Formats: sequence, structure tokens, C-alpha cells
Amino acid sequence: MDLLLKGGILHDPVNGWEGPAEILIKDDKIEAVSLSLGPVEVPVLELKGKIVMPGLIDVHVHLREPGQESKETIATGCAAAVAGGFTAVACMANTDPPADCKEIVSYIKEKSRAADLARVYPIGALTRGLKGQKLAAMWEMAQEGVKGFSDDGRPLMNSMLMLRALQFGLVLGLPVISHCEDLFLSGNGVVHDGVHGYKLGLPVQPAVSEAAMIARDILLQQKVGGKLHLAHISARESVALLRWAKDAGINFTSEVTPHHLLLTEEAVGCFDTDAKMNPPLRTSADREALLEALQEGIIEIIATDHAPHHPQEKETDFLSAPFGVVGLETAFPLLWTKLIEKGALSLSELIENLSTAPANLLGVPGGNLAPGVPADLVVIDPDKKHIVSRDNFYSRGQNTPFEGWKLSGTPVMTMVDGDIKMWKGKVKGFSHDFPEFEEMC
Amino acid sequence: MFLKDLFGLEDYPLEALQEILRRAAYFKKNQEDLIPSLEGKNIALSFWEPSTRTRLSFELAIKKLGGRVVNFLPEISSENKGESIDDTVQTLRSIGADALVFRHSTPGIFNSVAQLLDIPFISGGEGCYQHPTQALLDIFTLQESGLDLAGKQVVMIGDIVHSRVARSHFYALPLFGAKLTLVAPPSLLPPELVPAGASYFHHLEEAISDGDIIYLLRVQKERQAKGYVPSLNEYAALYGLDEKRMSLLKKDALLMHPGPVNIGIEINWEVIKHFENIYPQRILFQEQVQNGVFVRMAILDLFLNGRGS
Repeated sequence: MDLLLKGGILHDPVNGWEGPAEILIKDDKIEAVSLSLGPVEVPVLELKGKIVMPGLIDVHVHLREPGQESKETIATGCAAAVAGGFTAVACMANTDPPADCKEIVSYIKEKSRAADLARVYPIGALTRGLKGQKLAAMWEMAQEGVKGFSDDGRPLMNSMLMLRALQFGLVLGLPVISHCEDLFLSGNGVVHDGVHGYKLGLPVQPAVSEAAMIARDILLQQKVGGKLHLAHISARESVALLRWAKDAGINFTSEVTPHHLLLTEEAVGCFDTDAKMNPPLRTSADREALLEALQEGIIEIIATDHAPHHPQEKETDFLSAPFGVVGLETAFPLLWTKLIEKGALSLSELIENLSTAPANLLGVPGGNLAPGVPADLVVIDPDKKHIVSRDNFYSRGQNTPFEGWKLSGTPVMTMVDGDIKMWKGKVKGFSHDFPEFEEMC
Repeated sequence: MFLKDLFGLEDYPLEALQEILRRAAYFKKNQEDLIPSLEGKNIALSFWEPSTRTRLSFELAIKKLGGRVVNFLPEISSENKGESIDDTVQTLRSIGADALVFRHSTPGIFNSVAQLLDIPFISGGEGCYQHPTQALLDIFTLQESGLDLAGKQVVMIGDIVHSRVARSHFYALPLFGAKLTLVAPPSLLPPELVPAGASYFHHLEEAISDGDIIYLLRVQKERQAKGYVPSLNEYAALYGLDEKRMSLLKKDALLMHPGPVNIGIEINWEVIKHFENIYPQRILFQEQVQNGVFVRMAILDLFLNGRGS
């Protein structure tokens, strides 16, 4: 569809643009960006001072399909994505059956096409059946279009296998995404080994269980030199190792979640299962170290680790409840309200963390709005306030630790491939009152 | 002053605990002449973990006050988690229970099952979380021995990280003015667990001579299998109360243990005999068990009938 976005403030750090701009979209691509494009014969969408920026890309989500559709489907997960301003997501392989062969990858792509909302980039399993014993068919899945490999959720304990995975990842030009956790150290732990966790008498998971594996992975990476990405960093000990590795010139990236940036172990309160995730929430010193690492560029990416569960599964005692929180529909407003408005991060930095760096990691389009790139963008209303309410989620998961938080920086339009997928909170194909294009103009 | 349920002592003010202790003292003093204040009440006991003394103690407490005991004995297996305790609670409520007393191995589980319940829910021990009635009966026992806890040093020794008794005492003892010293290897006592104001040591000799009360915690045999200590013998060598260490004790130090005692591990047979023969008033193990009944009577009476009865 051809369209002119007018009256918005464009933030496109890659192309050095920060200010008013008119954006002409032709078919599915950005045709032109200019202060004023003069008269054009296309419909005009008046944005009245709202922020226009490259679409958000989440490198770490769990879409649960195939096999766990009571938690989430590709369609509901993608609806949650565009509702939260995400134009693309990379989905982890721990489905049932796991995405460890081309058939499952192909199935996920097919379902994503049918959903026709956000772009979905499947991540292939690192090992067959996520069992940590033999490498999965990495080449075959690469042919089918996976954008990386990971056994996320099932830490790879076999160091030799990790070395081999990095070596084949190098050959295929795709990243290996590592969930760093020494299972002997983490044991059956469900909370951080801090004051709060010990007070509750719950089994703990020490920070060193993450840091020890990060040390292993960066040393293997130093030896191999492929593409390594470290998932959901949560501990200050890990940050110290990342800093050392960056100084040593080792080539890798890492991510942090909004919940680890904003919450501490106290959020578990009195056994609140909506604050149970892996890795667990840690201390304020960890939280501060993560934010500092993000500010310094030692951690490059913010990812949600969106992990929906059926409400019934979380409505049990803390030990029995599954790990994970949803994140797609809360991430941007949280980061806007708690980091940007408080001056901890600039919008340009956040766009780097949530769009440009993720696109680079996955080797996909996005992260900027130069003429010629696919028209994947999001419009933010910085002043529009809303209260997080799980009842309003498009995700089937309602497991959020942010219920009731008052946030601003609300995404009001999400466009993928030149097509408006979300408009003022309504999602195409999901909201029965999703407006016709003429009504938006 | 009293909440509906009793899972932990964190939210209880001193006055509430004192009221329980006063009532327990009253019951103990007037045990031959009790008003059956639980008459017509059905109190369900459901212990999902092995227990002898706590369950019996609650059962006697209920009977002494004229209440009816409804025993629900679950088939204890690894599958019996989460779902089925919910069902049990609902079933017991539906058949007319006026209060529930539960024990379970999962910390936090009472919080999740009692939320929608309209009758008192009393913990008889909840995983590694808390064991409030044990802490209260300990304090009752100490007060009964004539001790004013203010400024007194309690040296607690053993498997603190897995101890629900310790976690209840972290709140109870400071409320009564006692100071806490913890002794254990780091595997059983991570520094993050040490409450503000308490001190901790890895060697018994560093702490024991300051103790007005020596509180020995039971070492669970399965901890050794999980590698928390190299062996029970090595634990005993480092932390067991033997004759040599006994000589370091203050001459009026009191000995406590929540039971059952592993003789030869937490404490030597010779030391027990020595105390029993020479200073029987200083070894409080049996008093703890006995007082458990009166303290639980007081708790049930207060939680079911309120303060006015």
C-alpha cells in the first residue's frame, strides 16, 4: 500500500535522523524520507508529533507452537508482538516436538505466514531433541531459514558439544545462542541465592551458576571466532566477565530482559509465581550492573524472553509453577517509562538495543528506516498513559510481574512490510473493530 | 492483632505472641480444670510429611479442649503435590472443618492454598519456610525455666539453611530481646541467610562459650547424601556437642533441640547423660515436647475463638 506518514518525529539513529520527517511508503518499502516531500498523490496519515522509529525486534521469545497451544500460538504471540510495537520476533526451539529439523521449522514459518502479523524468525535447536547429546541438523535447518541455534531452556552442559556447535555456527554464518547455566550449581533452585530467597526457604540458584558458564562460552568463542550470543544475562558476576571479554577483543553479543533491568528478588514477595523465571530476579546490585553494562554497550540487546504459560499452570505453589513471564506487550512502555523518562538511556540507545543490534545479530532487515528497506516501523505516543492489565493482553499468557504498573510511551501503530498490523491497540485479524484504512486517516 | 492464618511469625507483633504464651501458661496451670472451648469444633489435621510429635501434640491439644480431630492422611508420594493439596483443603472445608492444621514439604504452598479459604489455617511446618508453633513452644519453655530472654545469647547450631524452625526463630527470638549466633559450615549457612543483627561462625568453639542457650538443630540424614557435608561423622566431629566442647559451656547454659535428636551426631550420649544426671533442669528437650501441647492449645483457642473467650 502506498502511504505518506506526516507530522511525526522520526528517530532513525543509523541514518542520523532525529526530528520531524515525512516518510513515503511505496508497496512494502520505505520510498523516501524528507523534511518535506511536497505534494504526493497518496493517502496521508497524520501523526501529530508522535515518534516514528524502526520496528522493534525481539531476539528471544517462546511462541509455544507446535505442541503447547494452551500457552500461546504463533498467531496470539505475533498479535502480542505487534501490540507491543515489535515487527519481528525470533522464536526459541523448545516447542513440542522441538524445532530440531526442517519439518518443524517449516511448520513454524507456515503458521507465521498465516498469522500475517509480525515477522517470525525461527531459532533451530542446537542439539537433537534438545537433549544435549548430539548436534541437530544445523545445515538442514539453515537451508530452511533458521536465524540461529539454541537449546534455550536446556543449558548445554557438554563443553565439547558447545565447541562443535560454535564451529558449525561459524561455517553456517549463524549465531549460537547460549542459555548459560551450570545445572549442577543451579540444581532445583527457583530463586536467586539472596536474602529474600533464603528467607522464603525456597531452593536457590546461585549467580555463579550463570557466570561459570559464561566464562566457558566466551573462552570457547575466543578459540572459534564464530557468532556467539549470550541469552538473558542476570548477574553482576556475569557482567564482570562480559567486560573482560570485550576488553580482550572477543566477538560476541548478549542480551538482558526488561524484568532483570527493572526488578529484584523482592518482587517474588510472598511466593508470587508471576515473578518466577529462569534466570531468577537477583539483587539491586545485579540490576545496577546490568543497566550499567547496557549503558556502556557491553550488553547490546534487550530481549523479553517472552514465556507465556496457561494461567492455571501459574496458579499453583511456587515450586510447581513453571518458569517464565510474558514480555512482548509491556517491554517498550516499561523501558520508556523507567529508563528513558528517568534519563538512564536515550531513545537512540534504546532503538539500538531493541532494533538495530537485534537485526544485526539475526542478519535480517530492520533496525533503520533508510529508503529501500522494508517498511517495518512503530509509532509511539510518548504521552499516552496506560495501566498494565493482563486482561487486555493478546498473549494467552497472563504471567506478568508488572500488573497494575502505570506506564507511558505507548505504541499506537505497528507496520510490517508496509501494512498496518496494529492501530491504537487494536490488532488486525484479532480485534473485531480493527478500523479500515480510511478511518485511520 | 491475629491474622486469620499462622504460616510464619514475620507479621506478628510481640503482643500477639505474648498473648499466646500467656494463654498457654494458663492452660498448663489449669490443665485439670479446663473449659472445653473447642467443643463442637472440627479441626482437621493433614500432615504431608512424616511427623510424630507435632501431629500428636496438635491432636492432644484439640482433645484437651474438647474439639474433634479429623485426621486426613494423604498417601505421601512425589506426585502428591500442588493439585491434590488444593482438593484436600476444599474437601475438608466442605465436610465442615472449622480449622486446618497442615504440614507440607513445599515452602509457600500454604500461601497458595489458604488464600481463598475462610477458616483458620495453621502451619505444622512448611518445607524450609517456617515452623511457627515450634518457635513459640521453645520460647514458652525458656520463659518457664525462669529465664528472661532480654539480652541473652542463643547459639543455634546445625542445618540452618534447611531449617524451618530457625526461620521462625529469626523473627521470634529478637522480638523477645534475645541475640542470635549461628554456627554451621557455609553449605548449611549461606551468609545471605544470616538475619540482620545476628552473628555467625564456622567453628563451634568460637561461639559456644558465649551461649546462654545452646540450640541444636537436627541434621537430616539425606543432607549428607546430597553432599552438604562429607559425612555425618565429619559433621559430628566439627559441630557435635561432645564432652570436650561441653567444658566450654557457661555453667548455667540451657540445651534445646526441636527433636528427634540424632544421638552421636548433634550431641553425644555421654553429654546427655551428664546433663540428665547432674543438671536435669538445664536440658530442656522433654519440656519442649510437653509444652508443645499447651502452646498449640493456646493457638487453636485464640485462632478459633478469638481473644474474648
